[in-house]
Amino acid sequence: MAQPQRLTVEPPTQVTVKRGEEFSHKLTISIQPGFHVNSNKPRDEFLIPLQLTWSPGPLIAESVSYPQPEDIKVGADTLSVFTGKVVLVTKFRAGNQASALPSSLTGKLHYQACNNQMCFRPVTVDVRLPVVIQ
Amino acid sequence: MNLRRRRSLAFPLALATLLALTSACNKTTSTRAEAQSQSKPTGERKPAPDFTLQDANGNSLKLSDLRGKVVVLNFWATWCGPCALEIPWFIEFEQQYKSKGLEIVGISMDEDGWKAIKPYVAAKKVNYRVVLGNDAVGTLYGGVDSLPTTFIIDRQGRLAFPPHVGLPGKNEYLNEIQTLLDEKQHADSRAFIPGDLLFGSAAAAHR
Repeated sequence: MAQPQRLTVEPPTQVTVKRGEEFSHKLTISIQPGFHVNSNKPRDEFLIPLQLTWSPGPLIAESVSYPQPEDIKVGADTLSVFTGKVVLVTKFRAGNQASALPSSLTGKLHYQACNNQMCFRPVTVDVRLPVVIQ
Repeated sequence: MNLRRRRSLAFPLALATLLALTSACNKTTSTRAEAQSQSKPTGERKPAPDFTLQDANGNSLKLSDLRGKVVVLNFWATWCGPCALEIPWFIEFEQQYKSKGLEIVGISMDEDGWKAIKPYVAAKKVNYRVVLGNDAVGTLYGGVDSLPTTFIIDRQGRLAFPPHVGLPGKNEYLNEIQTLLDEKQHADSRAFIPGDLLFGSAAAAHR
């Protein structure tokens, strides 16, 4: 089912790195006021975590760091969530054999948004990071 | 002249007294009364769209087979926090009102199907029927863009109240259920309504 966006991803700007170099990349997402998404570690095992994954490509994603979540009360439950502006930091390493041609790395951001009254279906957003290897 | 003036004052005074009394009475019965006032007049209720879905054991549940019962049709999912809050209410309603003609039906909209639903239903000790939904059934009920979304259906298979989109209060459900269970004495009137009109299309339901 088509649904309005409750989360937007700031399109990543191009990164230029040397072969073998390590660097951190920040992906900024904005959650609409009044809504929340589950954190990367929800308290309830049945809830769907926010998750950023990167496909293999010219960069190797070594780790993704999520900010400190906040706790909110919904009814009797305490939920671990993100609201507002959230920055996800990925530690990348450029492959030693990576091509010098401009390319891009693709990622997927999976989330599930709610407000205090209702929830919306899980959504996966494609993320594209333009890369230039020197 | 004085008599006429006294009469002209007497009417507003009586009206004010009546309104005050009515208001006082409403304070004690407001929630139930609200449910009764919000229920659509029986003649204006639209048929709940019919469907057939399967439960975890592969048994089919056809909505129109539940005619004669008050049905709470709850669209939910395992990943839906507000849905989890109302599940204990439905468990309680099932225990309390099943013998009086209530049937709770949970339609799970989990994309992962029974793999996700079975452990959840076991963990929450769900005691009412749960079936696996799909977009086609969601579309029949107006799209079901958010969860929970719940429809309360009368004994004649008609949508008796506006749908609950999101989490309502427990008493809202309770009052609506009790209102429809109390309509039992009129249930025989369903014999006069052709079956194919009772469970019709989505267009009919939402017209």
